[in-house]
Amino acid sequence: MIARKNIVAILLGIELILNAAALNFVAYSRYVTNNLDGHIFSLFIIVIAAAEAAVGLAIVIRFFQIKETIHIDEATQLRN
Amino acid sequence: MFLQFLFISSAVLTVSCALGVLMVKNIMHSCVFLLGSLMGIAGLYATLGADFVAITQIMVYVGGVVILMLFAVMLTGGNDFVSRAQNLLGLPASMGNKWTYAIGLLVGVVFLLTNIQLIRGLTKALPVKTITNEFPSTVTQIGHLLVKDHVLAFEMSSVLLLGALVGAAIIARPRKQN
Repeated sequence: MIARKNIVAILLGIELILNAAALNFVAYSRYVTNNLDGHIFSLFIIVIAAAEAAVGLAIVIRFFQIKETIHIDEATQLRN
Repeated sequence: MFLQFLFISSAVLTVSCALGVLMVKNIMHSCVFLLGSLMGIAGLYATLGADFVAITQIMVYVGGVVILMLFAVMLTGGNDFVSRAQNLLGLPASMGNKWTYAIGLLVGVVFLLTNIQLIRGLTKALPVKTITNEFPSTVTQIGHLLVKDHVLAFEMSSVLLLGALVGAAIIARPRKQN
């Protein structure tokens, strides 16, 4: 039920994981270290996630232009 | 009291919308659930006193990444979204039901409370290390840290963003007609 075969759904899951990591950084920054390094780190995580989303969605659109689908099992051009 | 209410509503919104991202079949609905989840995380940032990160979260993720995702879904979706069923209000069934309207209301409440919390923090001036309900603004300190201690990472991230956007434009450009 959780496993998705849609490439965009996989990218959505990656966004969720990156957000979880950034939230952990900010929480530890508040309750453990008492400085702002966690905030800086989560800002860079947000930047990298934005770059990743842009490139990933460009790849998805290109893949759709070639294969006419965005099912992950169709991505077999680099196999063998 | 206010912070507890903000935390509970944000946490409920985050977890329920994250589960919605995973469980819902329609990929467009997954994107909208992701928007709710990211808004809840922005509320959690506001509870932690990270006002700059919360505003960046709302502007970059909710305003940028989710919209990009929605455009990608619409460009690659095909005919998956066409549905003729209607709900009680006479709208198509893909426009949502009472649960999605409730989640939308929760998104609005969390957004309002986040803004209230951030504006309250801007008007107060307290030392950083005291754990109270009002937080001082962290924007000045984050700005100093970004151009003093972390300036190399800052510049590298700017180059990374430039490269990523140029690469995305090159990858997604239309195919040449041979």
